[in-house]
Amino acid sequence: MLVGGTLTEGFWEAVARHELVRPVCHACGRSFFTPQVACPTCLSEDWAYEPSSGRGRVYSATTVHKAPSPEFTVPFGLGIVDLEEGWSMLAVLVGETLPQQEAAVELTWVEHGGRELPAFREVDG
Amino acid sequence: VNLSDVAIVGVGVTRQEKRSERNSLQVALDAAKLALADAGLPHTAVDGIAARWPGPGGTDLAPGSADWSTLLGVPLRWIGDSYPQGVPALVDAAGAILTGQATTVLITGGQAGVLGGGRVASYTQPGNEFVAPYGAFTAAHFALVAQRHLARFPHARRGAAEIAATIRNTGSANPAAVMSGRGPYTAEDVLEATPVVEPFTLLDLCLASEGGASVVVTTLERARDLPHRPVVVLGAGMEWLRQQYVDPARYDQAWSIGAAAADTAFGQAGIGPQDVDVAQLYDVNSIEVARQFEALGFCGTGEGTDFAADRGIGLDGKLPTCTDGGLLSFSHIGWGAPTLKLAEAVHQVRGTAGDRQVPGAEVAVAAGAGSGAQYYNLALLGRAR
Repeated sequence: MLVGGTLTEGFWEAVARHELVRPVCHACGRSFFTPQVACPTCLSEDWAYEPSSGRGRVYSATTVHKAPSPEFTVPFGLGIVDLEEGWSMLAVLVGETLPQQEAAVELTWVEHGGRELPAFREVDG
Repeated sequence: VNLSDVAIVGVGVTRQEKRSERNSLQVALDAAKLALADAGLPHTAVDGIAARWPGPGGTDLAPGSADWSTLLGVPLRWIGDSYPQGVPALVDAAGAILTGQATTVLITGGQAGVLGGGRVASYTQPGNEFVAPYGAFTAAHFALVAQRHLARFPHARRGAAEIAATIRNTGSANPAAVMSGRGPYTAEDVLEATPVVEPFTLLDLCLASEGGASVVVTTLERARDLPHRPVVVLGAGMEWLRQQYVDPARYDQAWSIGAAAADTAFGQAGIGPQDVDVAQLYDVNSIEVARQFEALGFCGTGEGTDFAADRGIGLDGKLPTCTDGGLLSFSHIGWGAPTLKLAEAVHQVRGTAGDRQVPGAEVAVAAGAGSGAQYYNLALLGRAR
């Protein structure tokens, strides 16, 4: 773990409540991710986790066919999602047909690799 | 100070194999002995080292390179735990030499006794809390970059498969390659191989193997008294976009990584891409080779696969690339793999590459890392003027 402790536990506590949050800088108003000790735009340490709408767009998508370790079931979708609040994250993609690049997506929750994790599914949009 | 006053005078590459009976320290030491013998230098000539400490033994104290002074039995004047090895270690060593901190620097590393058990190599599964839970691994990060490129330039998929087939066929003919004798491969073979992470199949992706690699670096002045034709550092450049494998690499930023480093390196060398005779690009996957042709200025964006096909990147081509078979077929030894690129570049430039020698090769590029890793580095190596 490169970061941890109090810096990121708020994110995982929210995940446990099925809530997706991201750091929002109180100085410049920008969202950022992954959590850092200070806002990467203005370097202010005055930031807090705020809920995300969970709506966004797929920046890039792939399908993993070979499990990196036994706890993962393949194939599964993996992508970079740009959230509407101006931040992005790596996430699992799900659906009958997996969301592709530029697809509008919304937050859902899946069990993946033995953990409950945020995932994204396609919506009309 | 002038970078080209620094020369690589010895290279050592141990036997590369899928699984070694030895351990990482042993292969690093084996490689070091080979490189020193190649340089015609005793180990007591080493007064600087960039190697870290692969264990076992040693201490858990940083910097790990200091543990080598105990093993070699020589006091050191300079150490650097360069990350990774290859070009960054070469640049560190050159800095130490040019500022008078050391005269003869050993760079060595590799991995052995660490793979196996049916799991992918641990270094391909970086353990960050925002990456590991999703099941991402290094090839998946590169895939997320490649997918966006292929949405823009669909023809590059087949072109990349041709690149993989060509480099693998080069390695097939190299008796020292881990995949020696395998193949020949066609682009169809690559496209139809077992899918790993889209767009990549097993044959698009580099190996995870075991062995050591080492180079010895000193001043050009000293190099002139040593057995081999000195190979000097004409230029070098590095880029660090952000920490690897935490935030995912984005195509719009990562596809061109290496362009700034190439500007620095070519500027220092006073040459351009058209002057490169052999390209030891960092072929972690097929599309990365095309990407590097684009980022380094050999051709325009989206033209990398056509450039490879038009110029020819096999040993009989106009720009032989990954002439030992590369990471795809020769070997990939973890953090030691970038040093393999230096070793092959040196062999080609000084004319000691044997059956795979590219006639008249005078300038080589050796590279490390790539788009999905979000850092990149390259060095231009050439004959002393």
